[in-house]
Amino acid sequence: MIHSSVMPPPDRAHLPDEPPPFLGTWPRVYAAILVYLAALITLFYVFTRMFS
Amino acid sequence: MRPLDWVVLGGALTAIVSYGLYKGRGSDTMSKYLLAGKTMPWYAMALSIMATQASAITFISTTGQAYVDGMRFVQFYFGMPIAMVILSATAVPLFHRANVYTAYEFLEKRFDTKTRALASIVFLIQRGLAVGLSLYAPAIVLAVIFGWPDRLTTLVMGALITIYTVTGGIKAVTWTDVQQMIIILCGLVVAFFMIVHMLPSGISFLDALYLAGATGKLNAVDMKFDLNNRYNLWSGLIGGCFLALSYFGCDQSQVQRYLTGKSIAQSKLSLLFTAMAKIPMQFLILFVGAMVFVFFLFERPPLLFQNVAMNQLQSPALREQFAPIDTRFGQAFEQRKQAAEAMADARRLHDDSRRAASLAMYRSAQVEINNLRASGAKLYQESSGEKGFNDTNYIFLSFVTRYLPPGVVGLLIAVIFAAAMSSSSGEVNSLATVTVIDVYRRHIRPQATDRHYLWVSRLATAFWASYAVFFAQYAKKLGSLIEAVNLLGSLFYGSLLGVFVLAFWFRRVSGTGAFVGMLVGEAAIFAAYWFTSISFLWYNVIGCVVVIATGVAVSIARPIERPA
Repeated sequence: MIHSSVMPPPDRAHLPDEPPPFLGTWPRVYAAILVYLAALITLFYVFTRMFS
Repeated sequence: MRPLDWVVLGGALTAIVSYGLYKGRGSDTMSKYLLAGKTMPWYAMALSIMATQASAITFISTTGQAYVDGMRFVQFYFGMPIAMVILSATAVPLFHRANVYTAYEFLEKRFDTKTRALASIVFLIQRGLAVGLSLYAPAIVLAVIFGWPDRLTTLVMGALITIYTVTGGIKAVTWTDVQQMIIILCGLVVAFFMIVHMLPSGISFLDALYLAGATGKLNAVDMKFDLNNRYNLWSGLIGGCFLALSYFGCDQSQVQRYLTGKSIAQSKLSLLFTAMAKIPMQFLILFVGAMVFVFFLFERPPLLFQNVAMNQLQSPALREQFAPIDTRFGQAFEQRKQAAEAMADARRLHDDSRRAASLAMYRSAQVEINNLRASGAKLYQESSGEKGFNDTNYIFLSFVTRYLPPGVVGLLIAVIFAAAMSSSSGEVNSLATVTVIDVYRRHIRPQATDRHYLWVSRLATAFWASYAVFFAQYAKKLGSLIEAVNLLGSLFYGSLLGVFVLAFWFRRVSGTGAFVGMLVGEAAIFAAYWFTSISFLWYNVIGCVVVIATGVAVSIARPIERPA
């Protein structure tokens, strides 16, 4: 038996994936991050064009 | 450095070490020492991830890069949010549920021992070569700016991180990272407002923006696709995404941060917060550099920003050759200053013809300045024998030490120290973890007590911290090899990413397929490096794709034997 004298690790194989604290589901949070990225790039693009 | 600067720097360093010792109390089991007992909240992990990634050279060099090349470097980070979303949806739950200490431990659970061993070795080589540089790079810049002995600076930084990293483990590292990140952010904001405040009285912030844009420094987005152009939207989105997937998904120095999370959700939130905060932070750093350029449109900069080079040019031996260059530099600066004032006036008066004329005048003066800087650098290189002279890393600190008031200089030097220490402590901690978990416990002594592994972890941490200091002490002798060492890191990420992609998404791929895939992927990356001019950001894409294709092909040719 491997690591017999070490404390056995707790069973985490069925660890639940809690919902996010906002927007209800994780796919919605991921979508929000990607929308944020798109907005940021657009903003930087406008910034570049405005002052170039 | 004036007395107030020393007080601020000393206070910041004392606070970091004391806080690390305080927060690291109770790390008395291997799980607590290496994974903080999985108790970390998302905000601490997020700031720790950002602090580990942001090295001192990020602040020293990136600001200088914006001064010379504009803000296009920000595109390098565009792929990061995409990578963070992918990792949050895949790697984070898988790593948490596998209950692993290291990312490479997961590879054995999925494939076999040899794949885990190969990935661990790749990590130890790549990160081991980089760890001393996090201490050395800022030390050498501080040596030139202040005349501090670089060996002493690396020794001080190394000793400080050893104190709290060895005693408190990852809990101490994470909480000091939080504190260091706060110091870094405060320093950046103060530097930004100081620069804007120090612009000439007739130049508004809007004028400064206009001048930075007109002089090509606000080039944050370049839509043109070009494989050989290191920074454009596409290399940032695609190459940057692959690089971030590799770094945050396969590099133990980052994976270990979010393995300490209380839950899967907390770890996910830490990565997603980093995804949101990193680009604006990098934008701010580059923007500070662009504003330093605007500042020097009105204040005469030194011909070269490196003190040692300037002192040599002004020495009696070179004075005669340097004098005409310096005189012409002064004239070109005056011409550029007049052009900048005229451009600002033209903007306010909406006078397009004057704007065009003053821009042409600026460009001609800037070409002359660039040529004179090149002449000065050539003269210095010929007399000193130094090759590949580049003063980009000295621009920001040269500005800080000459123009900022007492206290603020100390704060910004504390930022450099904090950034160097946060990167190094994270690297040391992760190297120790891989050494203990993937090498010592797996191959040397698999059946020892928890207390034994705790002490071996402490010893391994002390070893890697000492190694980092030792490596940094002798880094100077590596000379231009430092660039090669940095590049070496980027040569390994693609294959590491490929093998994790196989582990996460290709269920039918065997251990042998993954192992052979990694070897072939590495060969492909080295071939791209030696035989093509493709930008290094694409190596991750090439390596990853080759590992996946080879892993799948080998697994089809030699399928896993399943019981009937």
